Amino acid sequence: MLEIKNLHVSIEEEQKEILRGLDLKVGPGEVHAIMGPNGSGKSTLASVLAGRDGYEVTEGSISFDGDDLLELEADERAREGLFLAFQYPVELPGVSMSNFLKQAVSSVREHRGLDALSAGDFLKLMKEKASLVHLDPALKARAVNEGFSGGEKKRNEIFQLAMLDPKLAILDETDSGLDIDALRIVADGVNTLRSSDRSFVVITHYQRLLDYIVPDVVHVLVDGKIVLSGDKSLALKLEEHGYDWIRDESALPA
Amino acid sequence: MTMTKDSVQSVPGEQKTDEALMVQEFDARYGLMPSGEEDFWTASRRTAIKAFAEAGFPSRRTEAYKYTPVTKWLKNNLASSTEKSATSLADTFNDIDGYHYRTTDGQLLDRDAPKLPEGLSIGTLQEMRSSDSSFLETYLSRAVVLERDPFAALASAFADDGIFIRVEKGIHVDQPVVIHHNTLTVGGLAQPRMLIIVEEDASLNVVEHFPEVPAGSSFENRVAEVFIGEKAKMDHVLIFERNEHSSFVNGLFVHQGAESNFKTDTITLGGGLVRNNLNFLPDAEECETHLNGLYVARGSAHIDNHTLVDHAKPNCFSNELFKGIVTDSATGVFNGKVLVRQDAQKTNAYQSSKSIVLDRSAQIYAKPELEIYADDVKCSHGATTGELDEEALFYLRSRGIPEKAARLMLLEAFARDVVDLVDNEAVKQYLYERLHHLLSS
Repeated sequence: MLEIKNLHVSIEEEQKEILRGLDLKVGPGEVHAIMGPNGSGKSTLASVLAGRDGYEVTEGSISFDGDDLLELEADERAREGLFLAFQYPVELPGVSMSNFLKQAVSSVREHRGLDALSAGDFLKLMKEKASLVHLDPALKARAVNEGFSGGEKKRNEIFQLAMLDPKLAILDETDSGLDIDALRIVADGVNTLRSSDRSFVVITHYQRLLDYIVPDVVHVLVDGKIVLSGDKSLALKLEEHGYDWIRDESALPA
Repeated sequence: MTMTKDSVQSVPGEQKTDEALMVQEFDARYGLMPSGEEDFWTASRRTAIKAFAEAGFPSRRTEAYKYTPVTKWLKNNLASSTEKSATSLADTFNDIDGYHYRTTDGQLLDRDAPKLPEGLSIGTLQEMRSSDSSFLETYLSRAVVLERDPFAALASAFADDGIFIRVEKGIHVDQPVVIHHNTLTVGGLAQPRMLIIVEEDASLNVVEHFPEVPAGSSFENRVAEVFIGEKAKMDHVLIFERNEHSSFVNGLFVHQGAESNFKTDTITLGGGLVRNNLNFLPDAEECETHLNGLYVARGSAHIDNHTLVDHAKPNCFSNELFKGIVTDSATGVFNGKVLVRQDAQKTNAYQSSKSIVLDRSAQIYAKPELEIYADDVKCSHGATTGELDEEALFYLRSRGIPEKAARLMLLEAFARDVVDLVDNEAVKQYLYERLHHLLSS
């Protein structure tokens, strides 16, 4: 599904290398967690995968379902089935949720050769997917994320994920700023959306989320590289001991 | 006719200035010197041409026109209407419920005017002069401040006739008055005039539409005076959609009585040169003034909104929101002045101007001016100018929406803020559609 080889990424304006030879392979239906200390490059990875401007890939490759991901624009990636749940969802004053989702869903469906949804079917789909994360269907009249609480914004990301039915979803610190109830709702939504043909990359700083979204593989990202991979028990170990022991164990240069 | 010392005299062989030509034309039409049978209107014309001659056309050195060299556009249009071309109105507004009127260069056309409710009269200024000259004298040229703008002075001097609207005391007009403005003056200068009087405790909605007219350059310099009586209310919408060869100087002067409420939505979607001079004088306590504006400047268009709220009395409220989208090599100008005079304690005055610049060669000049002489007031202003929000654009694109569609969504959302404030549902829908069309291209 996703194969990243020797990825080197710099921030365009700073000439500072953030990712320094990252390798990652995610198979269909798999859930991979990426953990790491602040500044290790987690969010850069999410941004580069989604196609955000301002990053320069200096070396390496990313293949997504057979395509060269780096050749695609951000919107093309989304239509091909890649979804990023934002760490900080963007408020769009004046853009209603229903108009936003209508445009997004129809762009994606058209690309996938599916018929446009009727107004009735679209509303039905919205209602069904909103209920996954306990969002009030009345939100469709509201502007995207404007005046949403922190929890609502994160639930809204998962709602959009459900609407767009991607092959690969990247959750960028979806747990940040969530209380335990909201975390559970978000995780339940994600778990419902797990399937044999949808993969997840769950980026998080804390192990807590992984109690609810149980990953197949846990990777540890330090200084722009994956230095250790293991099963879900690795996350528990990180929670207990922090990240310092990994630096020692993997004998990274300080 | 002998020239007076005050007037601009020409030396044979010397090139006459534009101002001199205007004064000369005035002399030919109305006479610079009083003659035997004088009426108030002719006298006020003379005052106006004098004010114009003293001020002259604004130059680059004129502060109020620093960013808008109107004369550049005026050059081609100074000759009075000579060449006329028949045009037809694109009448998109016909379906709106209301009392519909058509004008050509500010002159009412319809002799088969709609049946009006009691207490509402609509006609021409000349008709009013014939039927009740002293009533007209009470209002005509009483709101316009000639020294403030030479264009308003010029239109006041030259407009032969114009629209007259009066709502009598206590009358609430049930439907909007919809005015379709056409111009037939190609290659010349048209100077329309309008006078609206909403008497005590009355209310009126007015929608003015300046649709696109077939190619040809026109210069419309209009002056509109509005009197809102005590506890009266008026809602005004103006939509300007002329072609890129059209110039429009729109002088609006609003005088408000106690506890009155005036709102304007001034929407400029076309034109090569547009200068909206919007002047408000809440001249008694407890007035409310709402000024909303939106403009889209494309190609090489130059769109300038100049507003003045002159808070002269205590306890008034004004709120101003202007938004602009400027693209290609167009220019947008906003100058919003709020003056709070010493007597105007407890004034609440708010102003916000926001613009989006889409091209490197597009320009915006935004200048909020707060001038406060009272000490117990609440005033604020904010002006932002920027590009389209990249983060918002990325968010939309990350959901599969192509870049072009995403940009359109954000621009429409930006403009929507102002359109949402239009009360008339049909006009609002029309504007959403027009903006969608305009911003898609």
